[in-house]
Amino acid sequence: MIPLYEIKNLIHKYGEKVALKIDNLTISDRGVTALLGPNGAGKSTLLRLLALVEKPTQGQIYLRGEPVGPFCKAFRKVTLLPQQPYLLKRSVFENIAYGLKIRGKKKNLRQKVCEVLSWVGLDPDQFLHRPWYALSGGEAQRVALASRLVLQPEVLLLDEPTASVDAKSAQLIKEAVTKAVSLWGTSLIIATHDWAWINEIADRTLYLIKGHVLPSEMSNLIFGPWTVNGRFWEKRFRDGQRLLLEPPPSKDMDIALISSSSVEIFGNPKPVHDQNLLSFWVTRLNLKTKSGQILVTFSLEDVSFTLEFSKEKFSSYGFVPGKKVWLSFPKKASAWL
Amino acid sequence: MGYITEGIIKAFELLISRDAETYSAILTTLKVSTYAMTASLALGIPLGFFLGFLDFRGKKLLRTIVNTLLAFPTVLIGLLVYALLSQRGPLGQYGLLFTLPGVAIGQTILALPIVIALTATAVESLDRQLRITLLALGANRYQLLCTCIWEARYGILTAAVTAYGRVLTEVGISLMVGGNIKWHTRTITTAIALETSKGEFAMGIALGLVLLLIAFVVNFSLMYLRQRS
Repeated sequence: MIPLYEIKNLIHKYGEKVALKIDNLTISDRGVTALLGPNGAGKSTLLRLLALVEKPTQGQIYLRGEPVGPFCKAFRKVTLLPQQPYLLKRSVFENIAYGLKIRGKKKNLRQKVCEVLSWVGLDPDQFLHRPWYALSGGEAQRVALASRLVLQPEVLLLDEPTASVDAKSAQLIKEAVTKAVSLWGTSLIIATHDWAWINEIADRTLYLIKGHVLPSEMSNLIFGPWTVNGRFWEKRFRDGQRLLLEPPPSKDMDIALISSSSVEIFGNPKPVHDQNLLSFWVTRLNLKTKSGQILVTFSLEDVSFTLEFSKEKFSSYGFVPGKKVWLSFPKKASAWL
Repeated sequence: MGYITEGIIKAFELLISRDAETYSAILTTLKVSTYAMTASLALGIPLGFFLGFLDFRGKKLLRTIVNTLLAFPTVLIGLLVYALLSQRGPLGQYGLLFTLPGVAIGQTILALPIVIALTATAVESLDRQLRITLLALGANRYQLLCTCIWEARYGILTAAVTAYGRVLTEVGISLMVGGNIKWHTRTITTAIALETSKGEFAMGIALGLVLLLIAFVVNFSLMYLRQRS
């Protein structure tokens, strides 16, 4: 099956700074893909490239097998809602109708605009002719979303759509997006920190860090500061525990990646050979609605490991938030960034 | 003081009685400034847009040159255009000296840097998200250009109004290139200069009042547009 997106040998720079470097990545068609990662990881850059509003400095993006870029044939199939959406200096109606008008789709314009306005929880009678400056932040975000939904896009890219709005607006945005996905089969790619929502709707997850896409298996990160202890790099915790890792191959690397499959869990401290053994707290439990798997987050100060368990395995461990467990993992990181 | 009061009273008489010479100067001013503004907007808006929108080598230098031209003295423009249009000049064959199109060329040179610089500033001050939004909504290159100009419309109108104010009130170009010919190239400002030198204050004051009225309308529009933007 042809993937929705395929990225090959992509490098994107802003000036001299490399914002994104992806050797090979495929994103499956249909369903929901979540982009996770800390601020500055490159999520917004990746979304802009996938939305074809920017051209990569190097490399090629393929949409359903076709090489694509800004102003190409396929570029109207994709739309992006940026984190800080911009409303045109016009009325709500004109903002939502803009995309349809430039496509020459002027039939039943008012009806289509009113429909998507009600999808995002805004009463057309009240909002249709309201000017751009008379909207609150949450209302502006919802109008911006409506202006994308009215296009019935094949691919909808959302950059932190609920980050700067209140709970009510966030809920309405989520409902409208879910409706578009189920009604039109729109492929959704979304960058968000809303874990609960991601676990509810995401079919797959991509982790980004320092401009690199990591496999979900490698999503356990250990940030510095590091001190040198003999032939190891050491991270000390306030409770006296120490974590040792073999140094990275390059000096500009300082984030260690630990593969989930290399982590072992114990209820009590147990002697281990040539491994790290540290006590963590269970801090978060999340159910992945679609797969039924349970995500358990273990935290030790600023280090968090998230591991996935089947219901049976989860029950056998008896994890509850606040439970102390012991995690063992090798002194050689799976990778460094 | 008596002659000033007398001049003001006579000025109103001239305006109310629709004095032909006074109205000829007003009409000539409106005509020549319209030519100049049409040309400067047609050239200046696209140039200003590209100067503000695009990034290219030498942009800063070009911007500095345009900003320097904002202070171009009208007598110097008058001198240059006179030299170009005179019989000995490269454009002498077209017989534009002491004609309204000749004055309009000079006034276009005066207005053009204002339109370019203020349009570029208006476009530069557009939110970076606008471009991303328009592309995300599927705008092609032409639609992108038109919508960006429309979004910067208040700034561009401010540029036009500012340039119009400058063109309307200049005297150096009209005097040198137009020659202040009665019924032909005499504008409000050149008429005021001439009448004052003759000691005829009434027509000078009458024309001054009209100029003030036009300047008020122009500035009121500017204030309104600034508030809107």
